[in-house]
Amino acid sequence: MISMALYKREMKGSIKLLVIFGAVITMYVAIIISLYDPEVMKTLDSFAKMMPELMAAVGMKTNTANLLGFMTSYLYGFILLIFPMVFSILRGNALIAKYVDKGSMVSLVAAPVKRHTIALTQMTALISGILLLVFYSTIVELICAESGFPGELDATELVMLNGGLLCLHLFIGGICFLSSCLFSDTKYSVAFGAGIPAFMYVLQMLANVGGNAENAKYFTFFTLFDLDNIIVGKSSAIAAVLVLFAGAVVLYILGIVLFERKDLHI
Amino acid sequence: MSAISIENLVRDYGNGKGVFDISFHVNQGEAFGFLGPNGAGKTTTIRHLMGFLKPRSGKCTIDGLDCWSGRDKVQARLGYIPGEISFFDDMSGTEFLKFIAEYRKLGTQNRKEELLERFELDPKSKIKKMSKGMKQKIGIVAAFMHDPDILILDEPTSGLDPLMQNRFIDLVAEEKEHGKTILMSSHMFEEVERTCDRIGIIRNGRMVAVDYAKALRERHTRSYTVTLESEAAAEAFAADFNGIRNESQVTVTTKQSLEEIFMNYYGGDKHDQHGAV
Repeated sequence: MISMALYKREMKGSIKLLVIFGAVITMYVAIIISLYDPEVMKTLDSFAKMMPELMAAVGMKTNTANLLGFMTSYLYGFILLIFPMVFSILRGNALIAKYVDKGSMVSLVAAPVKRHTIALTQMTALISGILLLVFYSTIVELICAESGFPGELDATELVMLNGGLLCLHLFIGGICFLSSCLFSDTKYSVAFGAGIPAFMYVLQMLANVGGNAENAKYFTFFTLFDLDNIIVGKSSAIAAVLVLFAGAVVLYILGIVLFERKDLHI
Repeated sequence: MSAISIENLVRDYGNGKGVFDISFHVNQGEAFGFLGPNGAGKTTTIRHLMGFLKPRSGKCTIDGLDCWSGRDKVQARLGYIPGEISFFDDMSGTEFLKFIAEYRKLGTQNRKEELLERFELDPKSKIKKMSKGMKQKIGIVAAFMHDPDILILDEPTSGLDPLMQNRFIDLVAEEKEHGKTILMSSHMFEEVERTCDRIGIIRNGRMVAVDYAKALRERHTRSYTVTLESEAAAEAFAADFNGIRNESQVTVTTKQSLEEIFMNYYGGDKHDQHGAV
């Protein structure tokens, strides 16, 4: 069970970020999809051929066959990874560690509410935000694609892809949440909650460049989000996404258990 | 039956900080003053009672429930004023009190309005912009509004002006009359001796005395009887020094400060170590 009073407060605290990130995502998705044009794609491909390392680093590859392929190249390498990730980092830290650090956690624990109820509520608030962002992105993508290029986008494939994206973001949220539960100091909570996902993302950029650096892909969880193979429904890619999901579950449970047992110097 | 009981509580933070083998109890319906200088271990002890910290060894119980494992049940009947007030800065006082009422699942039937009136508090402004005294008042209202049976008050009058301190002392006295159990920490002897039946003194993490307030007061007050040349002079003297006049003789009493009381118990080491609680 969760505390509705607390959930309401936390969702109110998320609104500003959700609106801003929602607006940014809307803008980018609309612009990128409107750019879909075989002619323009040739230009972009030529860019990619001229400076393959740079383009690849941000997930942009050549030979994007159709609209969804085009979208995976230009949206799923940066925009749709970074914005929900930043949301998780900011809110994840604010939901537990900030309260403990500032001492206002007193108001939450000095009440007949179990600690795991508090942690579960905060987790639910974080996941709700992530869900809203991914769900909203899917809607915007569908609307933009349908209005610009009717019939071009396979909705099932998009939903599969965004299901994978959701699992990835739940996993990132799990890292932020666990770090928030573990550390009583905002400093450390942010260092780990933001540091690990950011470092992993950098490794992913390195791996995309190719060559020797490609080995970096074995050290980052972003590899488990295998865009192209998710779209075609390859079972190994689906399994990788399920690994992310299972990892997320473990991270959240661990966070709740740690918070339950933790000494609070507040 | 003791409502609050602490048995052999130990938490060692190193460098002589922490609490070491503390034991005391507070009876049902009793007001207990928990006295000690800054950094003596008052707040650490209270955090154990609140279920914030798990005892390294020893045991804390409230109404027979373990303060760590049964903390949510304990909290249902508890009112707490933290030593360091830190609420949600983004809220106004009104919003905060409304949130706490909802969070605690209190109905509209609570003591909020009565308490706001008593402390002349208008909670409309943002908590971030409130003075220390105002925040303290918000803390008092939040601690008392659900009419708890047991009150744990960590230096509850800090930041309040003398008038409000008196009102708070009156409130505590009323609660005591209603049979509430009260544990109140302070670093001022005068404050606890006015309200509390028994007083425990903690110093450097160890309980150094637990006694009836009356006994402590008697032990630590000195009285002098002086004879003045005339009754008129005696009357003026009695008025100035708060003494009791008997013809041309006046008896005045002095109270020792907490520091002097410590000195009395232990001699030397007048300045206690100050530091983080």
